[in-house]
Amino acid sequence: MTTTEHNPDRTADVLIVGAGASGAAVAASLSEAGFDVVCIEQGHWQDSFKYPTADPDFEFKAMSSWSINPNKRRLPEDYPVNVEDSAVEPVMFNGVGGSTIMWVAHTPRLHPSDFRVKSQDGVADDWPISYEDLEPWYDLNDHVMGCSGISGDPANPPRSERPMPPIPIGRDGEMIAGAFDRLGWHWWPSDAYINSTRYGQGRDACNFCGHNMMGCYQRAKASTDLTYWPRAIDQGAELVTGARVREITTDSAGRATGVNYLDAEGNDRHRTARSVVMAANGIGTPRLLLLSDSKNHPAGLSNSSGLVGKNLMFHMFGGTSGVFPEHVEPWVGPVANIILSQEFYETDPDRGFLRGYTFQMSRGQGPGSIARGVAGHRVPWGENHHAVLERRFRNTLGLGPIGDDLPEEHNSVTLDERLTDSSGLPAPKITYRVSDNSRALLDHAITQGTKVLKEAGATEILVNPQSRETGWHLLGTARMGDDPERSVVDKNGQSHDIDNLFIVDGSVFVTGGAVNPTPTIQAIALRTADYITNNRGDLKA
Amino acid sequence: MVIKPDTYLLTAALNRVIPPVGDLPGAGGMDLAEEVIKRSAADFRFQDALTRVLGALPSPNDFLALDDDGQDDALRTAESSHADAFGLWLDVVYTVYYMHPEVHQRLGWHGRSPQPEGNVMPPWDGSVLGVIRKRDPFWRKA
Ligand SMILES: Cc1cc2nc3c(=O)[nH]c(=O)nc-3n(C[C@H](O)[C@H](O)[C@H](O)COP(=O)(O)OP(=O)(O)OC[C@H]3O[C@@H](n4cnc5c(N)ncnc54)[C@H](O)[C@@H]3O)c2cc1C
Ligand code: SF4
Repeated sequence: MTTTEHNPDRTADVLIVGAGASGAAVAASLSEAGFDVVCIEQGHWQDSFKYPTADPDFEFKAMSSWSINPNKRRLPEDYPVNVEDSAVEPVMFNGVGGSTIMWVAHTPRLHPSDFRVKSQDGVADDWPISYEDLEPWYDLNDHVMGCSGISGDPANPPRSERPMPPIPIGRDGEMIAGAFDRLGWHWWPSDAYINSTRYGQGRDACNFCGHNMMGCYQRAKASTDLTYWPRAIDQGAELVTGARVREITTDSAGRATGVNYLDAEGNDRHRTARSVVMAANGIGTPRLLLLSDSKNHPAGLSNSSGLVGKNLMFHMFGGTSGVFPEHVEPWVGPVANIILSQEFYETDPDRGFLRGYTFQMSRGQGPGSIARGVAGHRVPWGENHHAVLERRFRNTLGLGPIGDDLPEEHNSVTLDERLTDSSGLPAPKITYRVSDNSRALLDHAITQGTKVLKEAGATEILVNPQSRETGWHLLGTARMGDDPERSVVDKNGQSHDIDNLFIVDGSVFVTGGAVNPTPTIQAIALRTADYITNNRGDLKA
Repeated sequence: MVIKPDTYLLTAALNRVIPPVGDLPGAGGMDLAEEVIKRSAADFRFQDALTRVLGALPSPNDFLALDDDGQDDALRTAESSHADAFGLWLDVVYTVYYMHPEVHQRLGWHGRSPQPEGNVMPPWDGSVLGVIRKRDPFWRKA
């Protein structure tokens, strides 16, 4: 699909920056409500039938042109990220669908306690909204994206009937689930935005191809180019691709008037709009707010609190893999939408850290990726090579913790003074270190994960104390709150400083919780869209 | 730019990194050096790693004159002096080797790309939830 600009001189009601998980949801919701919507996206449409999982050299592409790491992929639409001072490297995809093109689509929800961390545990801050406030939009998003799963999980509040039955957990899933059962610990089949049956327009059931992170050829995995964007475009939304926003423009009163961007040919262009919605993710959004500094906004846009770019949270990830005596054929089935355990989700001070983690089971892929390293353990070269490879290749399963990573102001996104993207714009620089709380949490998870894998029959355990290329979840860099001095946007995603500027991506998270964040990001985006629809008629022509 | 003598050196190094197994010769004997050079040329990170690793080894003639243990020692020296480059080079070598159909055959792996054929989705079996369904809700109220 290609898109051309229609009537670029008009003033749109809403201009969205970024066509990923959150931008697509807002575009569909607001265009269905009759707003004139334009979205500007630096990347392009993808053709499912050209995804590299159908290529014989897919394992090579996974570490080069289809790497999850933009610093390795280095396509013109990617921007480089300076990670010299970061223990974690951010990963993402830039294009229509955003990072949902590459995501695993494991889709749990935050817990009610995640919204009340300050009240319950005395650290970080409470959110200005609750789980109950978000619930209707979680449900709506589950239906539009298409969720496979089963309700009844005792670790979570009751949930509406899932639109599709769960993804079967397979014999390998049963091995790990059985171990949790014998230990008396919680587990549940993962909610997944992957079709267990045909669902949505032109979207097949998953064929267990086993490789989620390079686009889904079957269109079974929900990416927003397949879910929200067709709806938005049907309703008249305009999506401009290959266009990089370099600045949000403002008038003398400080209100947003539109954006300056570089089009596909590199020409400098301007689009005017009655409001701007930022959906460029937890790194792209603070980067652009900081790039939009001016005489009236010397510290960047919407930054009177000084918190734009601060409090960056990833989810701490490390963990354990077990090598089993029997073949488990780990390349069969979605890579990490199998089962989760939330036995250690909620705070227990006796554990020596606050908050907790979710265990997410994972599979492996082809022999090349096993040789390159399970849990960071590369198969040795030399005489031992074949024996070690053969022991691990068909026999390895993983159990990784997604740990709550409490906000700290020194973990941040700033503008790099030297590094630039392909348009010459300053690149983001990440400063991030693992806190003592996160370290203690990961150590606990490694001990408990080892217990589970041994109980399941693993004879060798491979430990990764903390993985580096795991910045999948980009959160906290323009957080929401009631107090304009301690937050960037209010509970509706509206900037405290600029009443026609909204932020809807993971930047607005106050705390990260201990689950994959995208259902929450999209629920927040849909809620903000409904707020605009119901309360901001002034933004409509 | 990798020149011909480096192909000899690379071939010899590959034979030590992934030695012969079963009916298969080492990775060098499978003529994978050219493929490693071609794949590396497409990405400057890989090219840089290849150049550094080859540069850290003795000259082609000197390396070839060493016995197996001597070649392993030379590789280990390169590995410790250029750890990052050596690791990335190994990733390229391993990936190229494990894309080879004869290697797949030896491993008994189907060797297909994941798509379009995929695999068979097993049926969902609700009885696996027998134990966990008995547990009372335990999420923390807020
Ligand atoms: C490998 C991988 C696995 C993941 N697995 C999971 C998972 O299992 N479950 C889960 O919940 N989450 C997962 N995630 C995270 C998930 O993909 C993100 O949380 C989600 O996509 C974020 O949505 P977003 O709208 O904030 O940003 P994105 O989806 O990243 O979209 C942002 C868009 O903005 C565009 N953009 C940025 N700057 C500009 C600019 N200046 N001008 C124009 N366009 C711009 C980008 O090109 C991009 O398309 C995974 C991510 C990755 C990379
Ligand atoms: S495992 Fe299923 S969802 Fe994942 S890429 Fe393959 S077909 Fe798509």
